[in-house]
Amino acid sequence: MNVDPIQSNSNGHIDEQITQLMQCRPLSEQEVRALCDKAKEILMEESNVQPVKSPVTICGDIHGQFHDLAELFRIGGKCPDTNYLFMGDYVDRGYYSVETVTLLVALKVRYSQRITILRGNHESRQITQVYGFYDECLRKYGNANVWKTFTDLFDYFPLTALVESEIFCLHGGLSPSIETLDNIRNFDRVQEVPHEGPMCDLLWSDPDDRCGWGISPRGAGYTFGQDISEQFNHTNNLKLIARAHQLVMEGFNWGHEQKVVTIFSAPNYCYRCGNMASILEVDDCKGHTFIQFEPAPRRGEPDVTRRTPDYFL
Amino acid sequence: MANESEEEAIALKAAGAEPLPEGRTGLRINGWEIESRNKPILNSLRYEQWEQKLKTTHLPEMVFGDSDLVLLHNSSGIKIHFNTFDALTGWKQEALPPVEVPAAAQWKFRRCSVIRITLTILESGLAFLAVKPFQQVILDYDYTFTTPYRGSETMEMTSKLKAENITEGSCSLQWEDCMEKIDVVALASKEPILFYDEVVLYEDELSDNGVSLLTVKVRVMPSCWFLLLRFWLRVDGVLMRLRDTRVHCAFEKDENPVVLRDSCWREATFQSLAAKGLPSDSAAYSDPNLISKRLPVVMHKTQKLKILR
Repeated sequence: MNVDPIQSNSNGHIDEQITQLMQCRPLSEQEVRALCDKAKEILMEESNVQPVKSPVTICGDIHGQFHDLAELFRIGGKCPDTNYLFMGDYVDRGYYSVETVTLLVALKVRYSQRITILRGNHESRQITQVYGFYDECLRKYGNANVWKTFTDLFDYFPLTALVESEIFCLHGGLSPSIETLDNIRNFDRVQEVPHEGPMCDLLWSDPDDRCGWGISPRGAGYTFGQDISEQFNHTNNLKLIARAHQLVMEGFNWGHEQKVVTIFSAPNYCYRCGNMASILEVDDCKGHTFIQFEPAPRRGEPDVTRRTPDYFL
Repeated sequence: MANESEEEAIALKAAGAEPLPEGRTGLRINGWEIESRNKPILNSLRYEQWEQKLKTTHLPEMVFGDSDLVLLHNSSGIKIHFNTFDALTGWKQEALPPVEVPAAAQWKFRRCSVIRITLTILESGLAFLAVKPFQQVILDYDYTFTTPYRGSETMEMTSKLKAENITEGSCSLQWEDCMEKIDVVALASKEPILFYDEVVLYEDELSDNGVSLLTVKVRVMPSCWFLLLRFWLRVDGVLMRLRDTRVHCAFEKDENPVVLRDSCWREATFQSLAAKGLPSDSAAYSDPNLISKRLPVVMHKTQKLKILR
């Protein structure tokens, strides 16, 4: 087993922090700042197309569902016993964005070679102000400093990863401005997710049954058809595009004749959808196994199955 | 918990109501059977089947296709129900034109530049250097899933109606405009709630550009039942729509119950709110309960349910 290039004298402390976070207890503001400083040093060295070796377990959206992330580690194996690749969307929607993203960043700092954390469209200043992470930071810390620290760090998260040169992993999907992986390697990712352009597409676009490039009726956002996926995989010698970003009832969903797979790792999304979650295990021989899982038994979360009567008018 | 359910049982009995049998959610009261179902979203296979049935390529990402709320009046055969399929049928029929998000302006510029660059290069005779121009098609469907749905109503051939030799199709239900209003004052009184539930019919996050949500809430008290079907839409930075349908029935001795339906549609653009000096950031508009009054009414009427024979 490789020893990670982190000063061994600091490991004791970070191990304690990981233990604390595994119990769903957040770190202090100062600890978060120190942790993010270390994470930044590691992440800035990573490529826009971060190479990853097998075996590795690929995961989709988590969205602050901390107890389900803990369940994911129980089912997939602890980090660093299992290598992980997360494809973004750690925050927003769920109740424990702070604990979730802090834990993943702490694992990254402690076991930098064993876990890869990509950027999702929710790892952005603008989106987190609307969909929960910002409010959660205010609630848990009394100010927005932790939100600022994390969103500054998000700018350094790699955009895509490449498993054994054949599985291309990213949060959203393809872009008409990108034909080769080298196109991605060349741009400067350290910025807020822009509203348009190739970096935006990688984090936002969706595969579609319709061929070619489609523009969402919103007037922004691409869909890409099977012909596009086939061409991209052919050009770049890829076997598969693994992406997240969309809810799927079964936790994973093949598309484009198995050229693309969507992986979603937040079971019972938003605590009401009743969907399964899944992770994709890629073994030493590059074999694929999907593991589906259900929500972890809940402690301390509002039980939405029993609704409190209210005198609505 | 045991105490709570005992108390519930006592309150139900005092009101002459009984809960539905084990495994079902709802109650029977004053000739009404009221039942709600909260089920998971459709799986991929059924989702595709619904796409085919509704002749669409896009549905909300969360379709609670097996969830519903049904209110059945046994002696009259009146059945009022709220279900996802009928609501989405309404969306397909209304087929509003798409609403552009703020980023769309930048996207148009981007599309123009792609075309322009390509043309310049072609004119200069260096076509082989051109970035391959790509075909783009702007998809055209109402991604906000705005629906005019206000519930479904059918005559149910209950055993009572059959005994009276009333045949299927011989009577139907119709909503007629009326002057009466739902008695909001009576509804504000804190009568015990014998049954309460909320059912989400569909929901979409508009790919993180806001929210589209259709839910129905019901509460049943000793003197009446009352429900609110709400379509809530917020397209961040663009507009909000709130389409509320309130239905109320006071329990009376009559064979045919009086059912009133109040429809109130509200709509506002973020621009118009900003012009009035109101907040125009999306985070200020997360709870429709708190902000509904800020949205101007675009339609409001009350109707009464009539049985046509």
